[in-house]
Amino acid sequence: MKRVWTLTSFFTRDLFRSLVGIVPLALALAFGSIAFEYGMDQPQFITVGGVGIGAICLLTTLLLASRANRASSYLLVARLHRRSELFGAMVLGSLGITAVLAVLIATANVLTGRLDLDFPSVLWIVPTWLVLWLLAASLALPLSALVGRNGSHLVGYALLTILLVVNDQKERLATRGVEWLVRGVNTVLWPVTTLLSRASAGIHDRTYWLSLAMTLAYAGLLFALAALLFRDKDLLWPE
Amino acid sequence: MIRAEQLTKRYGPTLALDRLSLEVPAGAVFGLLGPNGAGKTTFLRLVMGFVFPDGGQIDRGGLIPANIGYLSERAFYPSRVSVRGYLTTLGRLVGLRPGILQQSVDRLLEQVDLHEVAGRRLGACSRGMLQRVGLAQALLGDPPLLLLDEPASGLDPAGQKFMRDQIVALRQTGKTVLLSSHHLDEVTRVCTHVAVLKEGRLVRSGPLESILAPQPQVMIRFSSLPDALRARLLGKAPHIQVSEGCLILTGQAIPYKARILRLLLDADVDIRQLTEQHATLEEIYLEATGA
Repeated sequence: MKRVWTLTSFFTRDLFRSLVGIVPLALALAFGSIAFEYGMDQPQFITVGGVGIGAICLLTTLLLASRANRASSYLLVARLHRRSELFGAMVLGSLGITAVLAVLIATANVLTGRLDLDFPSVLWIVPTWLVLWLLAASLALPLSALVGRNGSHLVGYALLTILLVVNDQKERLATRGVEWLVRGVNTVLWPVTTLLSRASAGIHDRTYWLSLAMTLAYAGLLFALAALLFRDKDLLWPE
Repeated sequence: MIRAEQLTKRYGPTLALDRLSLEVPAGAVFGLLGPNGAGKTTFLRLVMGFVFPDGGQIDRGGLIPANIGYLSERAFYPSRVSVRGYLTTLGRLVGLRPGILQQSVDRLLEQVDLHEVAGRRLGACSRGMLQRVGLAQALLGDPPLLLLDEPASGLDPAGQKFMRDQIVALRQTGKTVLLSSHHLDEVTRVCTHVAVLKEGRLVRSGPLESILAPQPQVMIRFSSLPDALRARLLGKAPHIQVSEGCLILTGQAIPYKARILRLLLDADVDIRQLTEQHATLEEIYLEATGA
């Protein structure tokens, strides 16, 4: 665990010492300004904020993975006992950065009167968003070129795009004889959509906890997939 | 310490290693030689677990790659991190406890003569300094085995000497060092064992002395040689060559050198020089690689 913390600190500093470190900050600034332009109440904040900041988390993990995907990482990887420690550090780093950005976004909008939060019920955001961010960060790993093998990350992007497009167009698609596809996508996305809808409605029943656990399981599966792909991947970074 | 058996590695259609079997004894400074693309770096990366073999196996003598010191050929470093900061981070990854971490980093900075630039960003360091940083990080945690990929590559003569001295010092402490190099002079000076690779195959391997020993020759220079003596010498053994002012003994003629010398002295031949030469590593290398 000590190695993971050391790497987390190293990767996070490395990201913000480079120019690409501006990207998560710029995205957070843009999201914090645009999404809250007309104000937001707590249920909206849980849903919109959860998805929006989750997207920033995904992108931050991709940035960390791209920073690690170069020859200077040979000397870091050489010291690891398991390659998956690299991913643990990226996920932790990404969660930390996302958490700081989320607090900044929320604080800025509360202070400017564009966000209305109700304490202590707003604290339910913590487990909800944490699991969502874990999913986003774990999803980013197999989508990164660092982990991808023989273009597997491109297949991942294609699948993700199909999932999101079908989810967006499901009413239209349902009338065109592809209900099976819509049902399939609904089933796949059930844990995430249920988690957000229950959390925004302030319902923390067994279904909420089930969806939370399933989302966490998704994150675990994606992390395991990334670790599996990376475990015996030839690291051929140009020197 | 390291034993590779029938190690095969392909990169797409390119065969980088072709059933390579090699043993690096504990305590040896083992030089890997070969032209570009011979498979030297691939072998080191296989030992480090950066790439995986398509066939064969590798035994690291019970060590895991994390316990092996490694210096890559052209190591890239995060440019905005300081020399000390970088070594400290790697020291933590190695598992050095906070109490001894700074001591170890200071000692290594002193050892590689970088203590005065410890606060300098890696991006502002010269090539020679970066190689020293590379050596220092490889030595973190006092690993029993070090893999050095072209450690003197791109260094000026002073830098090359520094690196050579460091490797000799490592040899004296009993560490096993596996290094790849194009500097045959460096290998001759520091290595105890060598292996020559060509197109992924092992073409020559063994202790340096035995590699260099098979082709010794004794050269005797003189002012002139009487014709009768010349004929007598040529009839004495098949491995004697006589040319103008020079007598060369090779192979089976070498044990007769004392007797031949006595013959020359008895005939009052004016002997000017006697030298015993071994084949140079360069000659062995060029012959082995067909270059």
